[in-house]
Amino acid sequence: MQPIIQAVSLTKIYESAASDMPALNNVSLSIQPGESVAIIGKSGSGKSTLMHILATLDRPTEGELIIDGIHAHNLSSADLDSLRNKKFGFVFQQFFVNARNSSLENVTLPLTIMGIALSERKARGLAMLEMVGLAAQAHQKAGELSGGQKQRLCIARALITKPELIFADEPTGNLDSENGKQTMDLLFKLQREEGITVVIVTHDPDLAAQCDRSITIKDGKIV
Amino acid sequence: MRIADILKISQRNLFRSKLRTFLTIAAVFIGALTLSLTNGVGNGIKAYVNTQLGNLGVKNTLTVQAKQTQANPINNDVRKYEPGKKTGTFNLALLGKNDMDKIRSMEGVTQVIPQYNIQLEYITTGNDKYEAVAAQYIEGLNLEMITGTTVNPDSLDEISLPSRYIMSGTEQEAIGKYAAIAYKNSAGTIIEKAVKIVGVQQQSLLGNSALSISSRLAEEIHYQQTLNVPNLADSYMGAIAQYNVDYSEEELSGLKTRLSEAGYDALTLEDQIGIISQIINGILVVLNLFGAITLLAAAFGIINTLLMSVNERTSEIGLMKALGANRKTIFSIFAIEAASIGFWGGLLGVVVSIVLGNILSNIATNTFLKDFVGFELLAFPLLPSLGVLLGIMLLAFIAGALPSLKASKLDPIKALRYE
Repeated sequence: MQPIIQAVSLTKIYESAASDMPALNNVSLSIQPGESVAIIGKSGSGKSTLMHILATLDRPTEGELIIDGIHAHNLSSADLDSLRNKKFGFVFQQFFVNARNSSLENVTLPLTIMGIALSERKARGLAMLEMVGLAAQAHQKAGELSGGQKQRLCIARALITKPELIFADEPTGNLDSENGKQTMDLLFKLQREEGITVVIVTHDPDLAAQCDRSITIKDGKIV
Repeated sequence: MRIADILKISQRNLFRSKLRTFLTIAAVFIGALTLSLTNGVGNGIKAYVNTQLGNLGVKNTLTVQAKQTQANPINNDVRKYEPGKKTGTFNLALLGKNDMDKIRSMEGVTQVIPQYNIQLEYITTGNDKYEAVAAQYIEGLNLEMITGTTVNPDSLDEISLPSRYIMSGTEQEAIGKYAAIAYKNSAGTIIEKAVKIVGVQQQSLLGNSALSISSRLAEEIHYQQTLNVPNLADSYMGAIAQYNVDYSEEELSGLKTRLSEAGYDALTLEDQIGIISQIINGILVVLNLFGAITLLAAAFGIINTLLMSVNERTSEIGLMKALGANRKTIFSIFAIEAASIGFWGGLLGVVVSIVLGNILSNIATNTFLKDFVGFELLAFPLLPSLGVLLGIMLLAFIAGALPSLKASKLDPIKALRYE
């Protein structure tokens, strides 16, 4: 089967960095569709840099990134924007919800960016909120939600475009263990049901153990 | 992203920080108000001047004067003295009888009427005497009359006068009554001449404010006033030359060139309007400059507001970019926010200036412009007002371009780490 993401000898050197140690050193990996993969490592290990490059939020200094058979370095920044919008979903540690907007507006943001009409956005948004158990909070401002609710909102937002791949950056980092467990159970359940690929960046070994496999990063290299 | 969604996000962002937005809009508002009011005054004056000059309009006439080439203290060049040249008081170059013949003989000139320089002492109907200025009524001149008629060109005893000279009774009652105009003859004796009032003129800013007498009466008075004064007898301020009705634009300018080469300045009515318009336009440019400076200051306010707005929403921009919003979308959101500040400030400024302008116009019409019927001090034609609004929006958009560009270039990773 064609891997959804294939990375060949990725190297990232930050020009501004004090030491000339690369943040990422010759990393190669491939991720199959439907897999759940954990990228683990200590802070500063380069795991976040790896995720950013895999998610096309950053470009590697050297190496190749192939998404669904397409070489990423051939794409313009507008093409990459569109690719992220259609194929990827994101869950962040800090949630990044717009506190002043309603849950419904937050969950439908990727569809708004895509240019979907308001009526369709509403219908899909409400269905998505229903799925993560936030139907009652649809018209509530996102700022009024609890931490666990916010992260469920983010999962709904990540899933609403029916993406092929979800990147989750420390998704339980800002949650207590009970809420963290519930959130991840939800994510894994939806992942299995929809057959979505999930890449989770974490330093939590328990969370990593729930994934199909783990990639450990240390000093910018896979170990 | 859809335009409707971009607009919605922009408007929402705009009113997120209400006080800041309000203050920035206020700055734009002041600039727009200044600009719109000065334009209003300009348009009011221009419209009035144009209708008034249109009213004066005798078609196919040139006002001819001798070229003013006399030595004056600020002239640097030295010219030869010409004994034959006519001069009046203040070394004003005048036209003589030979000049009249010369102009009359020019190709294309059909008729020449001398403009007599006459001095009235007063006008009276028996009791009080009032100072008065007389103007020669040229046939075909479009004098706006309240009642009665213009003077008969051949009459020696008719007069029409501006409405302010009607001291008692109605304008209609004055028609047919007699008055006396008085002038000094060249010997210094005051001579009163009885004249019949045949019309009452509508007063205006440009003409019509002098007593109107026929060319023949003017000639008569002029003769009396210059008899035995060699310097002034047979001298005229200028002449009205009528030219061929069928003349084209080129033929007219050819005639003007011939007159100029012969030593005369010749102006059509359009030329005279042009000079007045130029003066008014000059004043308006200065006034508009004030408005423009205010708007320039407001533009810096817009830049500042937008920079703060971009700063506050760094992580929001980062999120949108991560979720696939492209640079164009992010740029548009902020640029439209800037243009909206221009729109609201400009709209408010234009609307308030129209309301204020109409109030001021009404006050002016009822007080110091009372005698000038049809003079709207401020006029607001739709197109220029719309132009002001669009111009301000464009300025705001340009002011917002720099912060918008900054937002569109934000690195999503760095933007998401912000907070």
